[in-house]
Order: sequence, then structure tokens, then C-alpha cells
Amino acid sequence: MILQAATRGADSELVCASWTDPEVFAELFDRYSAMLYRYVSKRLGPEPAEDLVGETFLVAFSRRKSYDLAYEDARPWLFGILTKLISRHHRKEAARYRALLRAPVDSDIESPADRVAAGVTAQAVRAELAGALAALPAKDRDVLLLIAWGDLTYEEVAQALGIPVGTVRSRLNRGRRKVRAALGDANPMEEE
Amino acid sequence: MDDLKLLRDLGGELEHDPPATLARQRDRLLRGGRPRRLWATWWTAGLVAAATATAVAVPTVLIADRHTATPPAGSQAVDMSGTRNVLVIGSDTREGEGNARYGPQMTAAGKRSDTIIIVHLPADRSRATAVSVPRDSMVTIPACSGHPGRKDMINAAYNAGGASCLRKTLEKLTGLPIQHTVEVDFAGFKGIVDALGGVEVTVAKPVDDPKAKLKLPAGKQVLNGEAALGYARLRYHGDGSDIGRIRRQHQLVFAMLKKSMTMLNDPARLKSLLGEVRKSVKTDLNLESMYELATELSETKLGFVTIPWEPYAEDKNRLQWKQPEAAKLFKSLK
Repeated sequence: MILQAATRGADSELVCASWTDPEVFAELFDRYSAMLYRYVSKRLGPEPAEDLVGETFLVAFSRRKSYDLAYEDARPWLFGILTKLISRHHRKEAARYRALLRAPVDSDIESPADRVAAGVTAQAVRAELAGALAALPAKDRDVLLLIAWGDLTYEEVAQALGIPVGTVRSRLNRGRRKVRAALGDANPMEEE
Repeated sequence: MDDLKLLRDLGGELEHDPPATLARQRDRLLRGGRPRRLWATWWTAGLVAAATATAVAVPTVLIADRHTATPPAGSQAVDMSGTRNVLVIGSDTREGEGNARYGPQMTAAGKRSDTIIIVHLPADRSRATAVSVPRDSMVTIPACSGHPGRKDMINAAYNAGGASCLRKTLEKLTGLPIQHTVEVDFAGFKGIVDALGGVEVTVAKPVDDPKAKLKLPAGKQVLNGEAALGYARLRYHGDGSDIGRIRRQHQLVFAMLKKSMTMLNDPARLKSLLGEVRKSVKTDLNLESMYELATELSETKLGFVTIPWEPYAEDKNRLQWKQPEAAKLFKSLK
């Protein structure tokens, strides 16, 4: 079973082609499974990530016929499905962040160079960040993390969650305000 | 202070790279929960032309009678009718002439089954199904040839007790009676491909693997026995999973079937191919049975499935059969 070396077309073309040739759908997996895996691994850790990614694609596959072909990029669609699946694990997610509150800051798994590159500062305030994430309402956290960790735009988050862009903005602002407050921002209430 | 940047950095710290086992989820998707789905897609993939003859070739290409137990005395005309299940084992004994080149002598270490396939031929021969058994499957192995019953990887049954133990294990696990076994070792496989005059496959990604002694460009090409063998054994390629390897082996078997089809209308050539094949494999089927089976199967279509599986909780490098899906598959084959 070898897929043709496809010239990379829009995701929507793949979804459309998969209506008649289901196997084409695997190409979407090849494009995005790693990205989705990384995202879940941040929120829930590596153990459930594999299964959730698999499930996301199974759900997506079963709904492929209702995909709106006007959207060329399938990422928001996939992230939307994944977000729903993640929400079933909210206890586990909160526990993961709380564990960061306690975990020692130093990690000898990463090399010092990595630490410098990827966040000496984030490490220093890790407990505060984790505490803030654990305390956020799920809706605000979904928006905040789709943007910070999923690299989606406001419009894409709106599409993923099926909410207006204005709602994305207000949830994001609320989430960020709480994070800043946890970090000791002098003026946490300034925008309210 | 940029809170979003800090969050991103925290994300970077928490992030894990996808493991090779993620490929299993791709397989899960392709199965779509229905173990038979691949069946249809093999054919829609433009290989319909091979349909009439493929199943023929499972026995013809893979089966012969070297080291055969002599047929029961007085056996007359060969009767191969009724439902048949044939266990096909690709092994790396690495003993014997021509095999030593592919690895250290392993005579003392026993032999390992690298590829395990049950070919199911229903009584009406309307279609045949090749069921691949992942060799990393953790299963209950019944006591056999002096080895106690235990939970272990399925190919341990073969390592320790040979084909008969593997057969017994699979019969117990699947509930399917297995009438015949065929063992092909690495050198044998090579000989068959060469007897066919090479097989055509499409290689997705260029291969350069010193471990399998193989270097191939990407794209459609004809592989000779040596190259096909390397391709079948390739482990550290693509996603590196056993499932990926099984997929490549299916691809090869398919190519062999396609090629052997060209020989079917020519009984003389078919017999000579079978003659070549019998040198390379070990089976309890004799030449007449094979020929009988081959001609009988000329209208049969062949489908490939892999036993539904899931990761094995205690060891990420192993897997276990997924129930009730696996049981359902076996039931459909009865």
C-alpha cells in the first residue's frame, strides 16, 4: 500500500477525494498527526496522546462527508475534534499542571543549551504558570492553549470551537489576564 | 513580560515528540474499526487486473514440498477441496547454504519467525484472505514439545518448538484448524523472486540501510531476489514499526502474485516455477496438491488483513490482539 507521491494540495481536496477513496484520508494523518501529538503531549502528557490522536482521526474520518470544503486548511477542524476529546480528560490535565507546582525546577533531561534556548525564564516561573492554567475555566484554557500551544490564529480557533471571533478574543483576554496576575503583574485588573 | 511567550516556552518544555508507535494509529484509521476494509481498497487501488490469479499464487509461489513427510501410503488422487487454512511462515533460520551471509549463524539460537501469515481458503474458493499476525503479539502459548505453556511473544512459539508449535498455538488462539504449513526462509524467498524474474514494486522513500544491505532509489522498480529480500526485512525504515514492515511484505507478496499470474496460462512454466519454489521452502504440501490448489484458485480474489491489535500495556514494544475485533475476524473465517 504505497500512496502516490502526492503533490501537496489543499487539505480540503484530500477530504473531498476521501469521500470516494477512503484511503486518501491517511494522507491527512501523515500531515498532521505529529503536530496534534505534540499538542496533546503538552496538555496531557505522552501516554494518552497517542490514543487521542488516533481517535481524533477516526472521528474526523467518520465525519469527513460533512467537512466544509470552503476551508482549505483542515487543522482547525482537527483541533476542534481533539479539543473535545481532551475535555474528557480535564481531571488528568489539572493534575498534570498541579504536579508542575511541586516538581523541582531543575531537569537534567534537557541540556543547558536547550534550557537557555527554550525558556530559562519559563522555568523560573513554571509553578506560577502551571497554577494559573490549572485554575482557568476549561473554555478559557482551550482558547488560550490553542493559540499558545496549537499556533492557531483567532479565526482558526473560532472555527475550531464553533464560536464567534469576538468570543475568542474575550476568552483569550480573560485567560491572559489571569496568567499575568499569577505572575505578579502589578495591575491584573487593568483591563476590566 | 510577555505572558504568551512564557506559556509557549512552558509548552516547549512539556512537549514530547511523537513515537514510532504513532504509526499504529494510522493503521487503526485505515482499518476504520472494520478489519476487512483494506480488502476492498487493495482492489480499488488499481490492482484489479491481478484479481483472477492472485490467490492462485499464494500456494504456487509460496508452497512446495522440500523435506515433506512422505504422503500417507496409498494416498490417491489429491483431494484439496473444503475449507483450507495454510500457515505461511517466513523465517530467519540463517542456517544452511546461502543464509549465513545475512547474519551470524544462529543454529544454536534457534530460528525466528519473521513473518506469520494464515492464508484462509474458503470451501467455495470465491476469495482468499491472508491474515498477517504481528510477530510482536503477546499471546498465551500452550505447552508444546516439552516447553511449558506461558505468555510470550508469538514468535517464541516458533523459536522454541518450530512450525508445529506455532501451528498449535495459532489453532488454539484463532479457533481455526490449520491444515498445512509452509516455511520459507530468507534464502528461499530470494530464490523464488529470482525464479519469477524479479518483482515490480514502488518504493515510497529512498532506502539506504546497511543493516539490511540495501540501497534503493524511490519510485517504481524491479527488484531481484536479493533486493526484494532486503526490502522485506527492512526494519528501520519509514516509521520503523513492525506494522510498516508487514505493509511492505504485503506489497512484495502482492507483486509476486502479480508476476506469477503471467505464468498461469502456461502449465509448463507454472510447473517449472513450482519446481523452483519447492527447492526453497519447507512444507507438508506436495507438488500435486499445490498444483491442484493453484488451478482451483484461478478465479479467486485475495485480500490482506492484519489481526486487529493494540499496544501491550506492560511493554510498549509489544502488542496484543484487540478483542472483540480479533475474535470477530476469526469467526468470519469459519
